[in-house]
Amino acid sequence: MPEIVVEGVSKTLGGLLTLAEINIKAGDRDFVGILGPSGCGKSTLFNIISGLMQPDQGHVYIDGRDITGRMGRVSYMRQKDLLLPSLNILENVSIPLVLRGLPRKKASAEAAKHLHQFGLEGFEKYYPRQLSGGMRQRAAMLRTFLFSSDILLLDEPFVSLDAITKRKMHAWLIDVFKAIKPTVMFITHDVDEALYLCDKIYVLSDCPTVVKLETVVPFCRPPHGRTIVDSQYGTIRDQVMAALEI
Amino acid sequence: MKKSRITADISIPLVFIALLLVGWEYIVRLRSIPDWILPGPIQIVGTLVDNGPLIAKHAQSTMIECLAGFSVAILLSFVIAFLMDEIALLRKALYPLIVASQTIPIVSVAPLFIIWFGYGMLPKVIVVVLVCFFPVVISLLSGLAAVDKDYLELFRSMQASRLDIFRMVKLPLALPAFFSGLRISAAYSVMGAVIGEWLGAKEGLGTYMTLSQRSFQVDRVFAAILAVTALSAVLFLLVSLVERLVIPWNRLDEK
Repeated sequence: MPEIVVEGVSKTLGGLLTLAEINIKAGDRDFVGILGPSGCGKSTLFNIISGLMQPDQGHVYIDGRDITGRMGRVSYMRQKDLLLPSLNILENVSIPLVLRGLPRKKASAEAAKHLHQFGLEGFEKYYPRQLSGGMRQRAAMLRTFLFSSDILLLDEPFVSLDAITKRKMHAWLIDVFKAIKPTVMFITHDVDEALYLCDKIYVLSDCPTVVKLETVVPFCRPPHGRTIVDSQYGTIRDQVMAALEI
Repeated sequence: MKKSRITADISIPLVFIALLLVGWEYIVRLRSIPDWILPGPIQIVGTLVDNGPLIAKHAQSTMIECLAGFSVAILLSFVIAFLMDEIALLRKALYPLIVASQTIPIVSVAPLFIIWFGYGMLPKVIVVVLVCFFPVVISLLSGLAAVDKDYLELFRSMQASRLDIFRMVKLPLALPAFFSGLRISAAYSVMGAVIGEWLGAKEGLGTYMTLSQRSFQVDRVFAAILAVTALSAVLFLLVSLVERLVIPWNRLDEK
């Protein structure tokens, strides 16, 4: 069962206690938002979950197994699209498959199956520089998905997009995730984005980072309508804002 | 609108050069300056045509030295840049040495190569290698070092090996910087070969230049200079062409 459990993780970076005893959990198929001020160690937390970094203390469990400091189980998408300018879109998104040892042709064929779903059909031969920011981000998302489809760590994937594109990407993301049903942890600075997308939100504090608020969002991803009209919206939004001290 | 601007970009410098040449010819004729001091452009072109086969023969050996030195320099820079990028200790040890080596004037060491390796092609090729190596290796190294660390982390998180990362990420991302170093080297390489030939050679544009200069045949010196310029331009264009073929994606405009 694809679930992420972070238990008592702490980390000191450059003499500064960055993460102090973090406990968070994303259950099977949960879409979990992580909100917090800049520089509070959200990315450090993702580096630890993805295994790029060892925590000083604590453990990371995925599928109930301790994978602390081990890479390769979860896929991790960053703010920048990090597509290689030297490869076309199809070659870029097939990278995880090629790295796994699939022959290039097979990898491309496998990746091509998903182009339609990710809105990239017809653009497979384009280079990243020829595409818009939104399309590049979708390509990066597909590459992330092809590495590991059931657990995704998304570190502010839409931060560089304009408000209109961002909104379109939200609608698209909700659609795609309805089909692939992954377990997601999603870092953002945008309270409304978090309330719109996430089932559950963790608010982190400034350094040394602790979890300040954990709240379930009962009205996320409204099936119809663009504006959330749930009566709890204001209350939960205020709670989150208060926890962020804004 | 755009087309007329391109025409202007080409025609304005051409007209300017033409005016300079006309002025030069005019002054030479008006003052009747003797040939052995300053010949006019028309005479220089005439000399170039008359001595065409001879100059071509000399240019050929200069070109061979250039290409040989250039190729060796590229190979060497790739090997050294790769090793220096992968092994931090080697980078620390070699980097100051490579930079310091550039303070040594090439004309002062070139005679040593003639003492050691004789009057053949080898000492000239060595001079070309020394001249070309530095811009290429430095640009390649800075290109490799400038690769965004997020790329490396992303590929590490996808469990790419060091070789995969070098092959798929670092090398392609460093190629644009490598080619800008290569273009500088291409222009320098002919100069390196000519300096090598000045100091003693049986053949080459440098030899032709010194021989002409000693007999006060200034028109021939100018003709040789024209040939050197043409060779440099050809090499430069060749590198630009290879660049277009190897990294076509780099010319796409950032959207």
